[in-house]
Amino acid sequence: MTLKSKAGDKVFGTILLLPSILIVGGFIFLPVVQSVFYSFFNFKLTRKKMPLVWNNFDNYRSLIESGKLQNAFAITFQFMILVVLVVFLMGLIMSLFMNRGSSGERLTRTLTLLPWGTPTVIVALLWSWMFQAEYGVVNFILMKLHFISEPMGFLVNPDTALASVGVAAIWRQLPFMFIMLLAGLQGIPSEMYEAAHIDGASWLQSFRHITLPFLRNVIRSSILVTIITNFKQFPLFWTMTGGGPMDRTETLAILTYKNAFVNLNFGVGAAVAASWMVVLIAFSLLYNRIFKEAEY
Amino acid sequence: MKSKINIADLLARAVVIVLGIFLLFPIYWMIVTSFKNNLDIYRFPPQFLPRNFTLENYGGIFKDNSVVLYLNNNFLVSIGTTLITLLAASLAGYSLSRYSTRFGRFVNTALLSTQMFPIVGLILALYMIFRNLGLINTRLSLMLSLSAITIPFSVILIKGFFDDISRSLEEAARIDGCSRLRTFISIILPLAKPGLLAIGLYTFMQAWDDFLFAITFILTDEKRTLSAGIAMKFLGEVSYDWGRVTTVSVCGVLPMFILIFLFQRYMVAGLTAGAVKG
Repeated sequence: MTLKSKAGDKVFGTILLLPSILIVGGFIFLPVVQSVFYSFFNFKLTRKKMPLVWNNFDNYRSLIESGKLQNAFAITFQFMILVVLVVFLMGLIMSLFMNRGSSGERLTRTLTLLPWGTPTVIVALLWSWMFQAEYGVVNFILMKLHFISEPMGFLVNPDTALASVGVAAIWRQLPFMFIMLLAGLQGIPSEMYEAAHIDGASWLQSFRHITLPFLRNVIRSSILVTIITNFKQFPLFWTMTGGGPMDRTETLAILTYKNAFVNLNFGVGAAVAASWMVVLIAFSLLYNRIFKEAEY
Repeated sequence: MKSKINIADLLARAVVIVLGIFLLFPIYWMIVTSFKNNLDIYRFPPQFLPRNFTLENYGGIFKDNSVVLYLNNNFLVSIGTTLITLLAASLAGYSLSRYSTRFGRFVNTALLSTQMFPIVGLILALYMIFRNLGLINTRLSLMLSLSAITIPFSVILIKGFFDDISRSLEEAARIDGCSRLRTFISIILPLAKPGLLAIGLYTFMQAWDDFLFAITFILTDEKRTLSAGIAMKFLGEVSYDWGRVTTVSVCGVLPMFILIFLFQRYMVAGLTAGAVKG
């Protein structure tokens, strides 16, 4: 019982913040600054300490001239858009249906959460096993349904590899989207629908004018979370395809990691990371602005 | 009119059943594969019900010590991360809730912005930092880097729980001569138990899922965690031993499934509270 005053409150409040500031500052903000800094230097990982040499944007130039950076951006965006769209639509359908209060809701909800609890690397292994080229169960099912006539290598075929990793991502992320949207739906007072029904509104009209506006916040944040998750996705690609075949799944995450820890060229890896961060930050700002404008 | 609704209903039901199969079949397939012998695993067409039920895969992975080791390391790292995050986040969340200053608001914004940074992009700088601290190949490096990721969301989440607790409690405690710290620990913190449980579960799951940090900072097998261990031990060889892989996967998934069955309510509450506030 020393300081009683406002000043004491201030000191106490600041001390409480310190552990979080130290950890997050030291292991997120400091590396962010350092990554941007390294990206302008010739910087390779070696046993001995090497002096940093400014290389006049060479890291960026080589990435762009080889087309690697553009390729990685294109693939990352393709993957993200595909997964986010499918996850959102599937999640919406599921939550709209489950919101009608079907029987055994609790158990169904628990069961559908299981993919979300599955560690990402295990998701990757599981789907690699199911997509296996000769005796994988997906091959069998698609052949039974006459979609394909003979087994194919989903993860080694350049045309299907990205979509196949996408399926694994969708599988893990769908439960999260479903739970979020369901929680949002359950927050809508049922009188709203009753009133709309009495006024003769169709299902589509009440969906458009009641459900969607009420869900707006939930939709905004759960889609943003899904976008960021897929933008950053690393373990699925690293385990399922490693960036192949023919760079067709070489996302920004894979390109960064390969440069830094396979080629041991930190400078180039940092350049990928820095360009990526700029785009992601710009994207989130734009995203929030779009949603804010939609408010009015 | 009536039949139209029924058709829509039927269609919705069918779609949900298909989605349900999509979500649950892979888990079933993992479990079934782990109980098959090597001959049956590679059969085509596959057996949807195991005909020769066997435990040989489970015997195999437990004879080899490494899986137990990986699981043990995963528990240590996840629990360590959870404790660090609980401590740091509850202090910071309480500060932001009750002692809000301009600096506090700045910290709040800074924490929110971390969700945007790609971790893979930071990892090389992080590697250098841990190398300078002499923490490469320690479990502590994993706990610290994972905490850095889980603290921001946890702070924001637990702040919401503190905001819902009445301030009159602190005023009363102050009149009774209770210090700020004691008020927090013995009066406020117990009331925020559901919030602590929510961030604890969130953090534990994030830490359990880690792959990137483990393959980067851990160099020796005896400190390796589950995801990295599986990927290094069972993959990358000429042919995959799918029986072993699915068996290890079942072991890795089981703790998470138990948590979901026991604490689903708190997990969902944490997730949705975070989302609605954005």
